[in-house]
Formats: sequence, C-alpha cells, structure tokens
Amino acid sequence: MKLVGEYTFDGPREEVWKLIRDPEVLSTALPGTQSLEQVSENEYQGEMNVRVGPVGGVFMGRLTVSDEVPPESLTMTVEGKGKPGFLNGSGHVQLIAQEDGRTLMKYDGEVQIGGRLASVGQRLIDTASKSIIGQALDTLNQASKARLSAQVTGQAVEYKPPSETEFAASVAKDMAGEVFSSSRLIWIGVAVLIIIIILAIFLISSGGS
Amino acid sequence: MPKIIGERIKRNEDPRLLTGEALFVDDVSIPGMLHAAFLRSDYAHAYLRSIDTSAARERPGVVAVITAQDMGDEWQPGPPLVSPPPTVKGVVFHSRPQVPLVKDKVRHAGEAIALVVAESRYIAEDAVEDILVDLDPIDAVVDIEKALHPDAPLVHEDLESNLAAHLIQQRGDYAAARARADVVIKRKIVIDRGAAGAMENRGIVADWDAKSQHLTVWDTTQAPIPIRNGIATRLGLSESQVRVIAPFIGGGFGPKMMMHYPEEILIPWIAVKLGRPVKWIEDRHENFFATTQERTQVHEAEIALTKDGRVLGVSHNFLHDSGAYDPYGLTIPLNTQSHVMGAYDVPNYYSDLKVVFTNKTLTTPIRGAGRPQGIFVIERLLDIAAKELGIDPVEIRMRNFIHPDAFPYQREIIDQAFAPLILDSGNYKPVLEKAATMIGYDRFVKEEGPRLRAEGRHVGIGLVSFIETTGVGPYEGARITVEASGKIRVATGVGTQGQGHFTSFAQIVAEQLGVGVEDVHVSTGDTSEFHWGTGTFASRGAVVAGNAIHASALAVRYKILKLASKVLEAPEEELELEDGQVRVADIPNMSISLGELALLANPLRGAVEPGTEPGLEATAYFGPQYGAAAFGVHAMILEVDPETMMVEIKRYVVVEDCGTILNPMILEGQIHGGVAMGIGNAFYERLVFDENGQLLNASLADYLIPTASEVPRIEVGHEETRSPLNPLGTKGAGEAGTIPVPALFAQALENALPDLNLEILEMPLSPNRLFELVQEKERDK
Repeated sequence: MKLVGEYTFDGPREEVWKLIRDPEVLSTALPGTQSLEQVSENEYQGEMNVRVGPVGGVFMGRLTVSDEVPPESLTMTVEGKGKPGFLNGSGHVQLIAQEDGRTLMKYDGEVQIGGRLASVGQRLIDTASKSIIGQALDTLNQASKARLSAQVTGQAVEYKPPSETEFAASVAKDMAGEVFSSSRLIWIGVAVLIIIIILAIFLISSGGS
Repeated sequence: MPKIIGERIKRNEDPRLLTGEALFVDDVSIPGMLHAAFLRSDYAHAYLRSIDTSAARERPGVVAVITAQDMGDEWQPGPPLVSPPPTVKGVVFHSRPQVPLVKDKVRHAGEAIALVVAESRYIAEDAVEDILVDLDPIDAVVDIEKALHPDAPLVHEDLESNLAAHLIQQRGDYAAARARADVVIKRKIVIDRGAAGAMENRGIVADWDAKSQHLTVWDTTQAPIPIRNGIATRLGLSESQVRVIAPFIGGGFGPKMMMHYPEEILIPWIAVKLGRPVKWIEDRHENFFATTQERTQVHEAEIALTKDGRVLGVSHNFLHDSGAYDPYGLTIPLNTQSHVMGAYDVPNYYSDLKVVFTNKTLTTPIRGAGRPQGIFVIERLLDIAAKELGIDPVEIRMRNFIHPDAFPYQREIIDQAFAPLILDSGNYKPVLEKAATMIGYDRFVKEEGPRLRAEGRHVGIGLVSFIETTGVGPYEGARITVEASGKIRVATGVGTQGQGHFTSFAQIVAEQLGVGVEDVHVSTGDTSEFHWGTGTFASRGAVVAGNAIHASALAVRYKILKLASKVLEAPEEELELEDGQVRVADIPNMSISLGELALLANPLRGAVEPGTEPGLEATAYFGPQYGAAAFGVHAMILEVDPETMMVEIKRYVVVEDCGTILNPMILEGQIHGGVAMGIGNAFYERLVFDENGQLLNASLADYLIPTASEVPRIEVGHEETRSPLNPLGTKGAGEAGTIPVPALFAQALENALPDLNLEILEMPLSPNRLFELVQEKERDK
C-alpha cells in the first residue's frame, strides 16, 4: 500500500522538525500509543493500540529514523507486529518552508501489511490509514500552535491531545463518510420518503378533525 | 417388483436435519474434553528462527503447547495421498507433502506453527497470543507465471526450481493437423483461485479410552476409512483400535477429501498423549488459510479447424498452481487434460503441463476439480472460432460432438484414474436439442433478443456443453442386514455431506427387498459399521457405492427367497417381495414377514445347516472397470446493467445425462447446488492475494458467496443414457452443476454486449472486473 500526501503546518520548519523528533509529542499525536521510548539516537520502540474495522489489538513496534537532514527531511522505517498481524513500512518525509512562514510536509511511503489486518481489514485499511495520518498531523499542528503561542506570549496555552476514544471516533467518522457519500442518493430518497409520510399523517389527522 | 428407483421420494434424513437433531462434529461433547487452537503464520514465506512458548504454558488452564520441536521423531511430513501416474512416460514429479507443524520454514500464510490445548477454546486462543515466535520473512512466490523464473525464491529449497511436476500428453499429431488447418486460433486463458466455502468448517474430536485402548475420532472428512487407516499407522495402533466417524457434514465439495490435514494427525495424537478428549473446530478465518483451495491455471491454448468448423486439433501449454505442497499429486491437472477436448471428437491433441509450487494454501480438488478449467478452455476456443468462421455457436458444437456410435470412445489421455480415459457411453445431440428448446434458443436469437436490444436492454444468451468423468474406482462395499423388526440396516463406507445418501441408497434396497424406503436405515461414514472403502469424491457415491449396495441387496434377496421357499414350501420363482412380506404369488394368505424370516435365519436352538450362514445378511463390493462419463448442456439468458455491471440471470436451463436417475428430486438438488457454486466461480468468488502472499479477502464479507438473490430458479431436464459399466446404469452428477458455468457466463456476457466485441478469457469475473474489461474495449474503439 502506498501512502503519499501533503500537510501544511502553521508553524515554521524548525518548530515542526523538533516536534516530529520528539517521542513524547509523537505519542500524543497517535493516541493508541501506550509507550514510546527512545532506545538509541535514531531508534524508538513502543506499543500501540490499533483498530481497523473489525480488527484490533496491540502492536509492538520499532521506529527507525535515517537519512536525516535537519530540518529538511528524514526517512522513517516502521516494523510492527502483534495480534492483528504485522506492518512494515518506510517513508520519506520532507519539510519545505513556505513563504508565509508555514511549513509544507510531503510524505511518500510504502507499507506492507499482513495477517488479520490484511485478510479482514483490507477493505477499510486505505481509508483508515489516511484518516489516522490526517488526525495525527492535525494533532501535531495543534501542538505546534500551542508551543508557538507559548513562545510569543511567554505563557503556555493549554494543549490537550485528543483521547483515544475521540481519535477513534474521528477515524470512524471519516470511514463512515466515505461509505455514505457513495449512497447519498439513497439518503436523499429516505429523507423525501420521511417528509411524505409526515405530510400524509398531518393531512389525515387534520382531515379527521 | 414395484419401481422405487427413479421415484421422487422425500429425503429420509430431512426430519432430523430440519429439527436440529442430526449430529455434527461440533455437537460432540465429552466430559473432561479439552479444546485446541493453533498458532498460524501471518507470513506467507519466512524462516522460523525461534519460538518461546513459556508464557503460554504458564497461563492457567493451558494443558499442552506443542511445536514441531516438541514432537521429536513423531514429526513427519505427509503422507502423500496420491502418487504421480506411473504410466505417463517422462513424467517429472517432486513429492513434497504437507507437514504437521512448521519446523524450519513457513511456506504459506496460515500454516500451523504451534498447537495449544487448554480447558476451553477461550484460554487456548489467549495462550496462542502468548507465544513469541521469531519469523524472518523472505520474498514470496505468488504469481504462477513468475514461479519458474530463474530469480524466483524457492518454496522448497532442496529443489532446483519451483517446478513440482512436468508432464506431456498427446494424441495424434497436432503439428500436422495445424499445418493443414484453415483457421488456427490462439489465446491466453487465465483462471484464478477460489475457496469451497462449505457452510460447516472442518472439525475433529478425538477420544482415547486408555482402559479399552481404543481411540474414537469424529471428523468432518469425506474419507473416514482412509483417515482411520492413516491415524492407526501414525499412532502405531491397529486399525481395529481406531474408530472414525464422519457424522452429518455441512458440505464437503472436495477439500474434506484431503488426507491427512495436519490437524487430522495432531488432534488424535495429542488426545492419546494426554489421555483426554480433545476438540478442534476450525473457525471461518482459519478456513480461508488452512483448508485447501483450487482452480489457478494459465493456459496458452490453440485450436485448429477446417473452414466448416470441424476441429482438427487442440494444443495447450499450461501452468497449474499447486500451492505450498503437493500431496494430492496430479489429480486436478489430469482432469483438466482429460476435459480440454470437451464433448468433442478431437483427433489431435497436445498438452504440456507444468505444476508449480507457490507460497499459498495447497490446492486439492474442489467440485469440478480441474474440469471447469478444461471446459472453459475448449468452450471459449469454440466460441471464438464460431465467431471467426461465421457459424452459430450451437451449430459448431453439434458438428463436433462425439458420434453416438463411437462409444466407448478412446480419449487416449491418462486421467485421474491413472489409465487412458474411455468415455463409456453417451448421446449428446438430444441433450443439446432439449436444452435449446427449453431455453427457446432460436426464438431468442431471432426475435426476443433483437426486440429487447432495440429497447436498449443488454440481454444475452449462452449455451455450452460439457462432459464429466465420474464414478471412478477402486471400489466401495456395503453390508445389508434384515433385522428381526423387519427393518433393513445398510452400512457403507462412504461418508455423506448432504448428498441424500440415506434416501437414494435406501431406494435401491427398497426396490429389491420390497420394503418401504423409510424402513431402510442407512449408515454411512462410520468405520465400526463398515470398514472397507475409499470415500465420497469424484461424483462416485451413486455409481460405486450405489452399485455395491445394489449387489448386496441382490445377495440378501437371494437369501430371503431361499429361506422363504423352504418355510412356505413354494418354489422361489413363485415368491414375491412386497410390503415387507414374502408372498406366494396368487395366494395372498401364504406369506411370512421379513422380520419373522430374519428370526428363523438366526435360531436360538437347533442348528444352522452346514455351509450356510446365520442371518439374512450379505456384504458385497463393486469396482467399476473404469469411470462413467456423464454429459450435459447448460443454457442461460442474462441481462447486464451497463452502469453497475451487475448481472441478472433471467433464465437458467440444465439438461443432464447422468444415466439411470435414482431420485430426480435429489439429482436436481445436486444440480441446483452445483450451479450456485458455478455462479460464484464465474462472477463472485475470487481469492485475492497481494505480492507477498497475503490473502486480502479472508472473510465472508469480502469473499462473496452467491446468495439467494444471485441464484436464479433453475430449470432441469433429463436424458438417460445408461452406463454399460454398472448394473444400475448410473453415472455421477455431483460436479455437473458447477463445471460449465464459467464458460456459459463468458459466452452469454459477450452476447449481451455485442457492440464491444468483448472476449472474455479469464475467470472468475466480478462486476468490477467486467467494468474494467468494458472500459478497455471502449478505449480501443
């Protein structure tokens, strides 16, 4: 599975770089993360709760950062396995400073999945992974804004990462959105039908009085 | 003698099945029973570096955790089920049977690595997760066309390549036929993998009684006797110490014929070791990995014809996917080779078969077993030829049918029975004519079709024919006993998975012994009742077991007449068997019931005459000289929705010639079920693997089995050309519904989309795939 995308952060490149190299921030951005420790300069190890449709469970994984060119680019390699199967992937992340002071992140990676995650979750994995990445980057952006604001005002703005439930609910909403958009006509049909029924009831009851 | 064979009699077994009183393996519950679960590989191809089972062993409620290492010398591959045909010259065959648990290398996703036995299935499943296994993944062999590439990773590293077998068969001289042909058509044809999708997954319960030194095994197998023999050999027991019961089974379709699945050895083995009963029931997800699959083949096929549509020869080079191991030998591709000539008189044939190992679940026969692929190839080539030559597709088939006088017809190709195939009998033209009449072929082509198309509807008609080799040996047997109650007990070795054996076999006996069908109690699939035989496969139950039961019924009838003649003091020729009585013809009050006669045959005092046996009982066997060949034609009218590419089947007609019909209702049920499976094979069911050998649709939410809304009402007609190879004249029909459906779908879809000049050369399709094919054509326009 290919994962290619872009995201614009509101902060400058150096700030964003610090964020993505900070395990504590990273673990709040991915709320299923139960632990994430740095085991060497460029290696992190941790446990994460993952749920894709009917498949869920704890992944134990290792994240390696390589080809690091601060604050421009790095390559992340992920290896994880657990009850739901396994996940191996690597991706190249690039940070490009924008003229307006914001930062464009481009990512381009390839992920291999196996086990139950692939055999049962396949149908949902595309949407789920896009949504998980999107939510995580949004959270990082919030964190970045919080830090920046702290620097400017000298006073910390309260930054509250989403809980695991909130995160999962957002992912579920994205996935449901995909399903509903394809059957919008049916929903319009159902809505029209309900209106007709209400009208009918109204007319019958008013006719009787 | 009242006629009972051929009557539409309701099934004896249905009251038990419909009220939930029939025994299935999962119904077996024994005090103290333990439950098993397996750790299975997530990877398709990986080295097993290490396993740590200590945490699993410590979990409360876990009784045993077994790895290949723990089995010591008792870890043995196999046994191989079928050896390669020794009669084919120059055959290459590398036997690599399945292993009970992975020892050093995983060869397909879902292969079992460890067995956990615990007080409950819940504990066993949790303990499976406690096992730490270090698997080192390597590149997988998935695409069969890449499997023989010199750089391909090796599934079995002791072999030079992934070639499992190579075999060339030919008749006549194809090259010479091609040289003088007016038209030669060459196409690449691809058929992909599917699952059998039986409603009941596999399951085994094993119970070792140390005091009687006896092992009882309930198993969802189609072959209880070979399983009994295999378990006895593996566990060092005598065959009489092992009883295998294959009770009611929710569908076999071939994969339950595999002997032996690793679980079929491991569960009895661990039950004996622990001295406690052990149950394992496969779950649906496991079934997608651990139960065998079938169909993947790639053909480069060619047909040579004269300009008036006579087939001069057929040639094909093809690859067949064996999966990770090959215990079932060459059965599937041999069936393909023996069916690529279809129902036609093809004088010249050349076939080059290469079987390859891949990192996928192993393949063994599934209903059709190589025949649907063969029939798809020939029917497609004929359709393309008909189009090119401007001949009607029905007409080109008529022109090439084997002539009724040509039977027995020598095909000159070794088939799954390891002997040159002979088609015993047949009369193909009337079957085709009946199907064409039933579907209204001419009317549709001339009037209805053009009228509907003018209205803008995408309707199409198809009509294809097929043969089915059925009823292969070696033999089956049966024992029939008249009990003192007057009821008849029949025991046979074949198992039953829904075929209606309790009724059709009872009909054979009832007709000979003059009793009601409901008074004949049939026992199948219990080795303590009957312990010689092979199993229920290759559409052979009605032919081989049916005729063994017939022979046994004749022998009992003889004993009844002999004893009754003495008791009633009347010559045997004057005796009649009717309503459970033996009567002297024309003297109604001179009679004796079968029950009374059975008592006399088993006296408590006095003496049985020397040279005779007690009881009204006989055992007989039947082994056909060779298999009987059935024939049939399927026709359908379908409509395609051009926006969604969904297909609606408007009419579906089957005309089947399977020789003598035992019970038309049961036969039609077989046909209906077969067609439903064929519709899945043609338009819904495809197992999708990624390039790493991961199965991407291992659930019934993603792997689509046709439901009532996809299966139309099926109209069935019959012709009866009796087989000369057995006294009943029967031929098999178990696979007839499935075999030609993909070929029929392809033809009808092309017919429904005439402007596109579509050529369908692959199966299974899906609405998505059809959409892609149509898009490709529209781009080319």
